[in-house]
Amino acid sequence: MPPLLKLLLIRLGLGLLTLFLVSVVVFAATQALPGDAAKAILGKDSADKVRYEALRKELGLDKPMLSQYTGWLGDVLKGNLGNSLVGGQAKVTELLKQRVINSFVLVSLAALFSIPISIVIGAFSAVYRDSKFDNGMNIFNLTLVSLPEFVIGIILVLLFATAVFQWLPSVSNVDSRAPLSGQMDLFILPVVTLILAVIPYVSRMLRASTIEVLESEYVMMARLKGLKESRVLWHHALPNAIIPTIQVIAINIAWLAGGIVTVEYLFGFPGIGTGLVDAVANRDMPVVQALVLLIAAVYVLLNLIADILTILISPRLRTGLR
Amino acid sequence: MSTRDDEKPGFLAKPVTRRQVLQGAAAFGGVAALGSVAAACGGSSSGSSASPAASSSAAAGTPNVGGHLRVAAGQGSAKEDLDAHATAYTMQSMDMRFNMYDSLLEFDNEGVLGMALAESIEPNTDGTQYTVKLKSGVTFHDGSPVNADAVVYSFERIMDPKKPGLAATQLKGLKPGGTKKLDDLTVQFTLTETNAIFKEALATYSAAVVPVGYDPKGGEGAIGTGPFKLAQASDFQPGVQCVFVKNDAYWREGGGPYVDQLSIIEFADTTAQMNALLGGAVDYVNMIPGAQRKIAEGAGNKLLEAKTGSWIPFTMNVEVKPFDDVRVRQAFRLLVNRPEMIAQGADGLQWLGNDMYGPFDAGYPKDLPQREQDIEQAMSLLKQAGQENMTVKLVTSTSVSNNAPAAATVFAQQAQAAGVTVKVDNVTGDVFWGDQYLKWGFAMDNWGTRGYLAQTGMGTMPGALYDETHWAPTNQKYMDLVNEAMKTVDDAKRNELIAEAATIEYNEGAYIIYAFDNQVDAMAATVNGMLPDYSGLGSCASNARYRLGWFA
Repeated sequence: MPPLLKLLLIRLGLGLLTLFLVSVVVFAATQALPGDAAKAILGKDSADKVRYEALRKELGLDKPMLSQYTGWLGDVLKGNLGNSLVGGQAKVTELLKQRVINSFVLVSLAALFSIPISIVIGAFSAVYRDSKFDNGMNIFNLTLVSLPEFVIGIILVLLFATAVFQWLPSVSNVDSRAPLSGQMDLFILPVVTLILAVIPYVSRMLRASTIEVLESEYVMMARLKGLKESRVLWHHALPNAIIPTIQVIAINIAWLAGGIVTVEYLFGFPGIGTGLVDAVANRDMPVVQALVLLIAAVYVLLNLIADILTILISPRLRTGLR
Repeated sequence: MSTRDDEKPGFLAKPVTRRQVLQGAAAFGGVAALGSVAAACGGSSSGSSASPAASSSAAAGTPNVGGHLRVAAGQGSAKEDLDAHATAYTMQSMDMRFNMYDSLLEFDNEGVLGMALAESIEPNTDGTQYTVKLKSGVTFHDGSPVNADAVVYSFERIMDPKKPGLAATQLKGLKPGGTKKLDDLTVQFTLTETNAIFKEALATYSAAVVPVGYDPKGGEGAIGTGPFKLAQASDFQPGVQCVFVKNDAYWREGGGPYVDQLSIIEFADTTAQMNALLGGAVDYVNMIPGAQRKIAEGAGNKLLEAKTGSWIPFTMNVEVKPFDDVRVRQAFRLLVNRPEMIAQGADGLQWLGNDMYGPFDAGYPKDLPQREQDIEQAMSLLKQAGQENMTVKLVTSTSVSNNAPAAATVFAQQAQAAGVTVKVDNVTGDVFWGDQYLKWGFAMDNWGTRGYLAQTGMGTMPGALYDETHWAPTNQKYMDLVNEAMKTVDDAKRNELIAEAATIEYNEGAYIIYAFDNQVDAMAATVNGMLPDYSGLGSCASNARYRLGWFA
């Protein structure tokens, strides 16, 4: 078996174990919270014991704790994420499908734009260190880092949707009954907000590592050989400088995928973040499990991809595997 | 019988302003405009002479037909459903249900009881039997007729002992099997005890009439008689939005609906709600915070303010010392500077309360002097009770009301003047409504608009599900009065008993009712026809009255 494949399989196995442990922790946590789904649904009305008990029974909350968990786990192993405990008790997959698609598109767009932009900004800042561009970018990045993403979002809404110009939609209430392709204008402001939230971290990391690499002996060697500066940067320096940045990118995308609740609140965007907040408030165990497992799986996969990429890009690790 | 035939077309209920009259005069000449105003003021209940179809002058305020009314509602939740008989777990699902279902009777936007699906209702002499005649020709969204079978099915479903509906407690005296079909359009309710407020109970939203076999799961099978209906089940997305189409066969003469489509879109954040209006993504915003009124108006939007009978009381549990002492309760009521609390705790979005609930009840004693802050008197009462410089914990939560923690903090500050130390404990909803709810010594609660007797059955009398104060059993005279009123079918006599009971609460009760809530909705300048609702249920124009909205 090729060593890379072996590594992949081992890591995937460990990933599954991680997910199982996550599901146990989530179940324990939902049990540890005060109240249960019936109480969360009824609120003040849970003082009505008849209705409270009837609802508990309907939701299967009167069963012992362990059998609630094993029942859920058994369903999951059969590929069935179960039904929501609240509302019309819809299938979890049906309930979450659109939110997952919305969030996936949002995060993908944000990643697609923010990564190249960050790399270019980082690389140029390193090459033209202490120039006006670099200083300007430093101030820009530090300002963005210090602003929470909802503040960035509010400023964008004021500028482009309500107070100053009315160019873009002020809210992003994506309608799942129509195709997304016709509603892409709704994604512009949330995506820009997220891009602005991600750029500082990635570009500053890349700037630091590029500066380090540019001062290394092999880059000096390349320059002494008389290579063009652009070739030195893009072919010699950047591939090495990008290695530590891959991990930062992975963590940032995973953070985006974790549900950017504040951005969803601000734009009225129906994504997994608000879905998760609601599900926790409702003690809706199957929905909480599904969303947390999804987010955990994204973390596991992105970390795995980052590690594999790191191995493939860095020659020392690549040869070490042979 | 104080009910009236409620066929008043919606736009007639809307006051005709001087400006509209002048505009009308300019456009059509004085005679025509005065003629239409005269028709409007005549209050003809037939509706046909002044129905929107008969006159089409937009300038005089006649509704236009068509358009898509998009409403930004507050935070929803996946726990919403459209079951007509269950508790509406969010304001949003209540709004949706108002637009889909009707009950036999209803309260109009000023709280006057009238007929809805019923043509008439007649009690027997001792109020144990009510005979309801249904309007003929009314159909459900699926085209099936509203008849006695549907009514019997609906009330058996509400009274199902295994899963009682929300209205079951209010329909006191009705038992499973107590609803009988007399003929196709006549139903008889037989009660096991006199229930003088049975008509009020029939008017609650959760006593809606649904077709035989009704059993909604999500949007599937959610069929009613209301002005709007679901085109398909997937148009109901709990926690996200609900999209309705106009019910062309709506039964009400001249009462809308005017728009073709109605969307109730849920926003987790009030800022996003307002942004949606400012950016033109919606036409109407439900229940904005007081601070946003200026923003909305500044951008050229209209506001609609409703004075409701909802209340956020401070609750003093007489089973916990020192609230067993009436002097302590009286002192606490005198600690409150009510106007200040309204200004600071609720951005002015409240109106003065006088420690009694049910302000729209015909029996509400309006003439009792308004209670005001009186620190000296409070201190002397506390001294008599041996509770000078007392310390007390006040439990509150944002899940009681967004304003509750602020009101609690203001109370703590005001109480200092009398040497009373109030420690505000702001807890989460799980804790507040948890095992300690109804056992807290000094806490708060959130109540909707109800008639006096309906409220005592829910919150005051022994056996009430939400009795926070446990005060009534300490006052036999009070309980006798309420029980007597519950058995008194004569309206005038009953109102006298109610006034007497409320006065006892005013003097010795255990609630501090410093205010009732106002609600404000904001809407684009093009939206017309909305009426403020007294109930505080759903948005301030809700209670099914989106049907009255139309676009200029």
